[in-house]
Amino acid sequence: MQSALPGAVWPAVPGGDGAATFALLQQFEDTQWLAGEQLAALQLRQLDVLLRHAYDTVPFYRKRWNGSYDPAATLSLERFSRLPRLTRAALQTRFEALKSEHIPAGHGRVFPVATTGSTGTPVQVLKTALVALLWNAFTLRDHLWHGRDLRGKLAVIRGRIEPFEAQSWGPATFGLLETGPAVMLGVGADVETQLAWLLEQRPDYLLTYATNAAELAKASLARGVRLPGLREVRLFAELLDPEVRDLCRRAWGAKVTDTYSASEVGYIALQCPEHDHYHVQSEGVLVEVLDDEGRPCASGEVGRVVVTVLHNFATPLVRYDIGDFAEPGGPCPCGRGLPVLRRIVGRTRNALVTADGKRYWPSWGSRALLEIAALRQYQLVQTEYGLVELRVVADGPLSADQQDRLRRHLLASLPPGMRLQLRHVDAIGRGAGGKFEEFVCEVPAP
Amino acid sequence: MSRAARPLPWRFVSALSHDLWPAVPNPDGAFVLALLFQLERTQWLPPERLRELQSQQLDVLLRHACETVPFYRARWGRAPDAARLTELPVLTRRELQENFDALRSSAVPPQHGGTAESRTSGSTGAPVRVLKTALEGLFWRAITLRDHRWHQRDLGATLAVIRRGVTPGESPSWGAATEGLVETGKCVLQEVNLDVETLLDWLSRTGAGYLLTYPSLAAELARAALARGVRIPGLREVRTLGEALDPEARALCREAWGAPLTDMYTAEEVGYIALQCPEHEHYHVQCESVLVEVLDERGKPCAPGETGRLVLTSLHNFALPLVRYEIGDYAEVGEPCPCGRGLPVLRRVAGRVRNTLVTADGRRYWPHFGSRRLHEIAPIRQHQFVQKDFESIEARLATDRALTREEEEALRRYVLERLPPDMRLTFSYRDEIARAASGKFEDFVSEVAEPRPVRPALQ
Repeated sequence: MQSALPGAVWPAVPGGDGAATFALLQQFEDTQWLAGEQLAALQLRQLDVLLRHAYDTVPFYRKRWNGSYDPAATLSLERFSRLPRLTRAALQTRFEALKSEHIPAGHGRVFPVATTGSTGTPVQVLKTALVALLWNAFTLRDHLWHGRDLRGKLAVIRGRIEPFEAQSWGPATFGLLETGPAVMLGVGADVETQLAWLLEQRPDYLLTYATNAAELAKASLARGVRLPGLREVRLFAELLDPEVRDLCRRAWGAKVTDTYSASEVGYIALQCPEHDHYHVQSEGVLVEVLDDEGRPCASGEVGRVVVTVLHNFATPLVRYDIGDFAEPGGPCPCGRGLPVLRRIVGRTRNALVTADGKRYWPSWGSRALLEIAALRQYQLVQTEYGLVELRVVADGPLSADQQDRLRRHLLASLPPGMRLQLRHVDAIGRGAGGKFEEFVCEVPAP
Repeated sequence: MSRAARPLPWRFVSALSHDLWPAVPNPDGAFVLALLFQLERTQWLPPERLRELQSQQLDVLLRHACETVPFYRARWGRAPDAARLTELPVLTRRELQENFDALRSSAVPPQHGGTAESRTSGSTGAPVRVLKTALEGLFWRAITLRDHRWHQRDLGATLAVIRRGVTPGESPSWGAATEGLVETGKCVLQEVNLDVETLLDWLSRTGAGYLLTYPSLAAELARAALARGVRIPGLREVRTLGEALDPEARALCREAWGAPLTDMYTAEEVGYIALQCPEHEHYHVQCESVLVEVLDERGKPCAPGETGRLVLTSLHNFALPLVRYEIGDYAEVGEPCPCGRGLPVLRRVAGRVRNTLVTADGRRYWPHFGSRRLHEIAPIRQHQFVQKDFESIEARLATDRALTREEEEALRRYVLERLPPDMRLTFSYRDEIARAASGKFEDFVSEVAEPRPVRPALQ
């Protein structure tokens, strides 16, 4: 830790914002172990303040909640669950009406944040310094949970950025903790270029998208290239195919850690230090996973993720239907009381939809697929209720036997009655944010 | 990080315009929690790593002391580095008393906050004056919170304090360490100079969850409670400070109230020195704030099991730096603690020089008799043993009635068995044996345990 005070080298006395970050982190160290009911009670306290603020100062909510919110009544989670949800579409179109007319001065600087719109239309929110403070504290929690050695070198491959070198890992640690350097590369570079860059940089940590990590690991395995110093691959922003964990372990002996976040919300869930599933960051967000009738999903059921951001008083997001689907899990054996998400299955557009309105998140295992044929790239696109298109980039035509085996393998993972069509394409691009989706549904729900 | 001892959830106070969870505390509170966060980790570091980190801080302190403190500049010439700390002369209490002005820094970093003078009670010697900064106040607060965490206190309970110099009454919070940062229950305070029966009645009416007082008084209260059958049902823990702890006090508190006793070792000059381990009855040096040496008569570090003089270096006092300050207390070094904390262990704090028995050949002893055993032999209410010369001890006793010859003889045999050979014992009887002006009580005082020779202050 870096001291802002002359003379006090150890223990450090950090500068104002740094002290506040650690003050939060110190609280997180305790709250993570609280029982579910204790956490819920604390969340309710914060929720009460947030709802009053939203009702009093945000035109959208004042109008929308008329009749369903009573500031005089004692708030309960049951009452809360009766408030209408905020859709992504509403957030896109009602940005102005969702702004607070009175952002508390104590929350600090106000600034806009827009999503990349990689997987849909972009959305915009206002955030405050307080929201940023929580982001930093959760970032540090993630470092702590996964026992990272911050003195190591971090390589980042993401988005459309120019190659860049920084002295520190980023805003969460800057001026607060001594870190090693960070080096960055855009995800647009081809996999061979990326691999050569990683070999040259010799990072301890790699931060990138799951599909990109998988491609890098496959290329490493194919060429017999090791990345000896690499300890951990940190993933964000994309759905994680469980096979990626295995690939990274085989290629580099590195563990994989995933995070679930969204720019308009912040951190939603972080991977458990001891398991492959996720813990909801209940100190910052209240997460509901709801079935089609709006009831909370039981453990093992997949439902819609509805998020309430507890500390954004500039653009309050209350019961925001973010458009993702996830599967809640039971209590974690690690002992933390933070709720578990077993997996995040993605957005509506990553779900196969049938004519009767049922959603499926197909899982086919890309490794088995690639053992059938050496595809450079592939993507599954649902173009009609009954039809999925397999788009492939391959060096040459596939044999009839390969085509047949691919078809049989994939159809086994889709609901009955689906047809599969193969199509050769020259390239499959990433979305605007650099993210890649292996399954895309182009059909609206009935 | 240990999950073994999860503290009860605390309710932090948010400094923003409204209630907030998690809380964003006021700037001082945030500093305190930032320190606490580090303390939560440093406690588990191995001793070698802790020494390295201490050395980093020590280097800065020594440079500052040499550059800005006339006393040290004259004594050291140029700034020593941390590795040579043990070659520096110790600073005696007497030197501190006589050189207050020469020990002040001429350039206290303004970022360390305001400077305030504080003085010891002088309970066991002439008072000493020191200066402290706001920064030290932050460390004091953070270590107080560490103590609360270690012992898993419920901060919502009522704290009863019986000490000298407090204003009897009630205060809405536990005090400065938690004020404005963590919500606590109320604090009820009482002066020490009331008789034990009155204090016990008061205590039983307070509904206190915690009692903070001197160990001798805790023992007296517990004895009185046992005699009268006074239970204090809500009492969870007795916290003690300010005196050498008689282990019997632990047994008495447990027996009287079923409450564990937790001791701490603090001094006005340096703040917290050692806190009781959460899992054992010995103490952990608070080495993030103070560097502690325990030295034998030749000035060599004591091995585990040996008792020696305590020499302290306060790591963050840049206003009146205390470097190798010989505070006048003795302590026994312990083995590394099985709890896994790397913080050095003091097995017991034996008290001051004047509480040691000295023989003509210069050997020191820490006689211990145990009030319970004495009470079993004769109806003794209070006792104090005073060494008058190298061969004789006076037993000052306050008793319920005159003792019989048999009781005196039994007492003599019991006491002499616990003293070095060839000591003589005389009895004198009093109505009451008063506490020192500080409120502290010493059950053994030597009038001949001369202080170590005092070096001339400045050449």
